[in-house]
Amino acid sequence: MCLEVNLELLFLLPIFLPLLTAIFLFFNKNLFNELITNFFTLNSALLSFAISFYVFVMLALDKFQPINYSIFQWTNTPDIKIGFTLDGLSGIMLLLVTGLSFIIQLFSTSYMETDEKHNNYFVYFNFFVFSMLLLVMSSNFLVMFFGWELVGLSSYLLISFWSKKPAAAKAGNKAFILNRVGDFGFLIGLMIILNTFNTFDFYTVLKSASDVPENTITLITLFLLLGAFGKSAQFPLFSWLPDAMEGPTPASALIHAATMVTAGVFMLVRISPILQHSKIAGMVIISFGLLTALLAAFSAINQYDIKKVLAYSTISQLGFMFIAIGAGAYVAAIFHLVTHAFFKALLFLGAGAVIHSMHHEQDIRKMGALRKQMPVTASMMGIGTLAISGIPPLAGFWSKDEILASVFANGGIYYIFWALGLGAAFLTAFYMGRHWLLIFEKDNGFDHSNVNEAPKTMTRPLIILGLFSIFMGFINTPFFHGVEKVLHYSLEGVEITHLPEGITLIVLAVLSIGAGFTGLLIAYLIFSFEIFKRFNFKRINLDYPINLVKDLSFNVLYLNKFGNSIFVTGMKNFTRKVAVIVDGLIIDGSVNFVSTAFGKTSRVASATQTGLVRSYVVYFGLFLLLLIGLFIITPMVPQ
Amino acid sequence: MFEVTTDWYLTLSAILFSIGFFGMMIRKNALIMFMCIELMLNAVNLTFISASKHFGQIDGQIAVFFVLVVAAAEVVVGLAIIVSIFRKQSSASVDVLNVSRG
Amino acid sequence: MVDLILFFIPSALIIIGALIVVFAKNPVHNAMGLVMTLVSIAIIYITLNATFVAMVQMLVYAGAVMTLFLFVIMMIGVDKKEQSSESIKGQTFLVSGVFLILISILGYVAISSEFKWDLWFEAVEFAVEGTPQLIAGTLFTAWIFPFEIISILLIVATAAAIALAYDSKRKKNDV
Repeated sequence: MCLEVNLELLFLLPIFLPLLTAIFLFFNKNLFNELITNFFTLNSALLSFAISFYVFVMLALDKFQPINYSIFQWTNTPDIKIGFTLDGLSGIMLLLVTGLSFIIQLFSTSYMETDEKHNNYFVYFNFFVFSMLLLVMSSNFLVMFFGWELVGLSSYLLISFWSKKPAAAKAGNKAFILNRVGDFGFLIGLMIILNTFNTFDFYTVLKSASDVPENTITLITLFLLLGAFGKSAQFPLFSWLPDAMEGPTPASALIHAATMVTAGVFMLVRISPILQHSKIAGMVIISFGLLTALLAAFSAINQYDIKKVLAYSTISQLGFMFIAIGAGAYVAAIFHLVTHAFFKALLFLGAGAVIHSMHHEQDIRKMGALRKQMPVTASMMGIGTLAISGIPPLAGFWSKDEILASVFANGGIYYIFWALGLGAAFLTAFYMGRHWLLIFEKDNGFDHSNVNEAPKTMTRPLIILGLFSIFMGFINTPFFHGVEKVLHYSLEGVEITHLPEGITLIVLAVLSIGAGFTGLLIAYLIFSFEIFKRFNFKRINLDYPINLVKDLSFNVLYLNKFGNSIFVTGMKNFTRKVAVIVDGLIIDGSVNFVSTAFGKTSRVASATQTGLVRSYVVYFGLFLLLLIGLFIITPMVPQ
Repeated sequence: MFEVTTDWYLTLSAILFSIGFFGMMIRKNALIMFMCIELMLNAVNLTFISASKHFGQIDGQIAVFFVLVVAAAEVVVGLAIIVSIFRKQSSASVDVLNVSRG
Repeated sequence: MVDLILFFIPSALIIIGALIVVFAKNPVHNAMGLVMTLVSIAIIYITLNATFVAMVQMLVYAGAVMTLFLFVIMMIGVDKKEQSSESIKGQTFLVSGVFLILISILGYVAISSEFKWDLWFEAVEFAVEGTPQLIAGTLFTAWIFPFEIISILLIVATAAAIALAYDSKRKKNDV
């Protein structure tokens, strides 16, 4: 009893500790130097993580029974309250966010060491952690929406952190505005939910979902899906994420790789009891996920910005998670979310270390052969690359293979989806191999003798994340369904697509390993072995198709320019026309008409106001007589 | 046969009032207009007195008393205004005064 | 018979005087017409048993107010000719319109009541003498508050007349 009460209050602590830290640091902005700021923020993050860990263990001992705690009930009907819940799903996210937040803050202390807005950075960072925890720990849609908006805000603050750079300010705006498009859908979804279920509470909504007609469910999920597409950078709304790389690299690692962008995936898993009732939504999710995965993977193969490759890779991996959700493999989605969080954070921090050592040079064409200068970073990034490419026994293999196998297990049209997914996995391995080789292996002829290994405060987080990237996969293998057990109560009553059994699974695993290896091998052949230079392919002219692919990839199939010309330039012209026609002619016209009409009529009417006493006497007499006439005509009743 | 009843007085009062009113409308001299106002006021007074007799009550006559006082006050102020206007434009015609024209 | 004479002769004088007020060209004639009207009205008052009011009418109106009028007439000059043509656009039309409406209303009333007055209340049999005692008795009891107000109004009017007619420039020149 005592324990439970403690636990209820205890799991609120990690949520509000970052907020308190943020406020505390904000008010002491001018008082603290870097050391004191680091001390406070690191200890707070560590404490937060420790409490989360304790809470998670307690939850595990209790077989992951959900714990709800409501701190404020606003109205009873409709049921609106500020409530938090701790179950397997939010427990995983709690652990993930606080853990990564600590590791990445550790990294940030040296990455942001010389920055003049050092303190601000940690204020925003802690604020982000608070918002993210608010999002994942919420027990109802409303609190989730608060978190949803606040992560958007803190993401905006961190993307445009170096707001003196015009590109950063623009990128922040772009991220914020594109997210608004998604949040608009999310908000409409919430309104339909409130209208249909008369409550925001997850538990009530998810329980009574089967009583609601499928069309309503489809409508709700499609609108929520729009929010998820915005936040998780899926196909129509993805272009903000590559631009978001203008922010500080550690912030990108936490926000735009590990946690915030997975909020959409988290939300869809959270509403999976509703989602499974709508076949249309499932198809929409899987097709958009697949499209995003392929498109982003294709775009990543000819990027030259060290962070943009990773950004497209993130979009692609998020696409994989959406594929998993669309195929009904919610456990696989969360599993991939967790493993991806670790290896992508590792890759981002590694990229951050490289950028730091290269004195803020981000073009990978100007790097190369850094392996000797930065052995630790190179090996850790290598682990990350192998993990994301799906090489066993690293983390990425288990999760990605589970996704692909689950898609395959659905049968029918999903075989095609599986094949396309496998293609995306191959592309992933290819561009990640290229990325690593261009940075660390291939000699581009630049002199890097002055480049040194990153400081220990940077390499240590990399090593921690590297270890996680290796071993994290073992929490949910075909032999041990760890994540599924954790999510048992969260996904109660949800049909989860299971892996195929026996020989099929092995074949699928071999195929996906094969795709990963092939991708890496081709990358090696092209970028390190330099096959084009060694062998003469003059007979087959490959220049044109290769250049075409390179061009298309670098420009993301010209989608950005296309979108720009329609939504930015087109909208601008359209609104200008609207401004001229609607505003200028119709609105101003009507206003002017009213005013001129009044002016004219009053000028006519004012002609009677001669200012001469005798005219007024006449009017007075006229109306007096009219009044008398009226009295006479009106039949009078004698009393 | 012919008995002087209240309605005769009322008719007289109405005629007097109408003459005063037409005077107001057609004369331009401010002084004459004031005299017309006096005519109209007297028409009203006549009504009051005849009503007083008709109803056998003294209050009508008291009302006339008040009207007399107000008329006196009005004449005093009005004539003062006419004098000050005359000083400005050396004419008592109201047709020149159109400062409040719309 | 005496009643009729005492009504018709003053009535005729009243209307003639009123017409003189409206139509005479010389302001002094107008003023004299007004005096005639006021005096005749006083006679009518006496026939209506309002003797005190008649006296006041003679003293205040025909005496004080008319003196004031004549003063002003003398002050601003008699010789100034009023322009005879109508200067306001549409004034003639409107005046004739008002006149027509008045005539039509009167005609309508006269025809609809078959040339008979129909007062709602019957005249009382007894006569009330408007003696100073009776008027004062009512005025200083039931009407004391309006009476006080009226006295204030008179003072204000006097002050206003002084303020309006007082010409500071001219006074300076005189001194």
